[in-house]
Amino acid sequence: MEHLSDHGLLALVGRGDREAFARLYDMYGGAAYSLALRIVRDRDLAADVVQNTFLAIWTQARTFDSSRGQPSTWILTMTHHKAVDMVRREERRRAEPLDDAPAALDPEPPVEHQAWLGVAREQIATALARLPDPHREVIELAYFAGYTQSELAERLAVPIGTVKSRTFAAMNALRDALAALGMRPEDEWNTSTS
Amino acid sequence: MEHVDELIAGHALRALSSEDEERVVVHLAECERCRRRLRETEAVAASLAYSVPQMAPPPELRSRVLAIAEPVVAAPAAEAPAVEAPARPGRPRPRHGWWPRVSLVAVPAMALALGAMVVWNVSLRNDLDSSRDDFAHGAAVALPGVGNVVAQTDGNATLFAHLRRAPAGKTYEAWVIRGTVALPAGVFEGGGTVELELTQSAKPGDKIAVTVEPKGGSRKPTTTPIATSRSV
Repeated sequence: MEHLSDHGLLALVGRGDREAFARLYDMYGGAAYSLALRIVRDRDLAADVVQNTFLAIWTQARTFDSSRGQPSTWILTMTHHKAVDMVRREERRRAEPLDDAPAALDPEPPVEHQAWLGVAREQIATALARLPDPHREVIELAYFAGYTQSELAERLAVPIGTVKSRTFAAMNALRDALAALGMRPEDEWNTSTS
Repeated sequence: MEHVDELIAGHALRALSSEDEERVVVHLAECERCRRRLRETEAVAASLAYSVPQMAPPPELRSRVLAIAEPVVAAPAAEAPAVEAPARPGRPRPRHGWWPRVSLVAVPAMALALGAMVVWNVSLRNDLDSSRDDFAHGAAVALPGVGNVVAQTDGNATLFAHLRRAPAGKTYEAWVIRGTVALPAGVFEGGGTVELELTQSAKPGDKIAVTVEPKGGSRKPTTTPIATSRSV
């Protein structure tokens, strides 16, 4: 089990392998919870998001198309979408999403992949910091605060066309900034092999 | 063909309007170049997940998640409570067989989905191959966790569902998914096996989905489907 790639693990999960499912949770449960918590800002809701996400993984793993990319991207994309949907339903979006996590949430070291996650976090934070402010702003407001592009246009007082083009430019800039740091997300988000 | 690069960026951030979202989905269905672009963009977006402070999940969350995959024995649907108290850290969680652990979920839709897991697990053991069936007229199409749909060549389709009764104020609703449009196809309450003739005909390529909706049903889905069939 330890030597399996994420693709291998997910294939086993698709066949109903509970041990592989537990392994997948141990690998990505922390990242999923951290992301969900950053978005919904509530421990219980974040736990609900993670539970929903892993239910979807358990039920949909056998239909995962490995040609579509890394399982980690799939898992974290699902987590993000469910968290954004949750925050929109709960109207818990915070006015200042650019802040770091609330101080009341004491960070604890993840059990697994601590070193890898630490390096990744530092590099991605560096890449984000290199973006022009308008680019970073649109990414963070959309990704972490769950604003739609229409809402962003209103909040930023710019035409929606500007929001769309700015989002496009921002994601390209982030990809380039990550590449400049030697990171290619499409290839690398697989903690089991790092 | 006009590509949709700008919208793909918004799609990856889940920030598009429903109109733009539909435009992207329709385009992606026929454009390999943009699907590749989406894969790249989603990977970049997912990288943002690692930029947040890493927090240890509550230990009980692991138990809740792993309970999803536990082998289960189906309890009589009529005896199962429609919705139980949410699972919250620190709350006593008595265990009587499998049911309390599976049903102690946070939202009604989750409870229903987990209830559906009972059927799914049993059907997985008994009929794994048939659960992989693609949509085929005249043949049973699996709705994982819910049951099956049988579509006839004339478009008439019947849903066979095995779900617990919907919670108070809620109902199940079936949908025919045609492209990016969800057509309402009938509501039912669950509670044992239900046979529902869909009010919407199903054509080759359509998918069938089931959602949990407010009592009386909705004109458009308001929740994530608890099950969606595959199509060819």
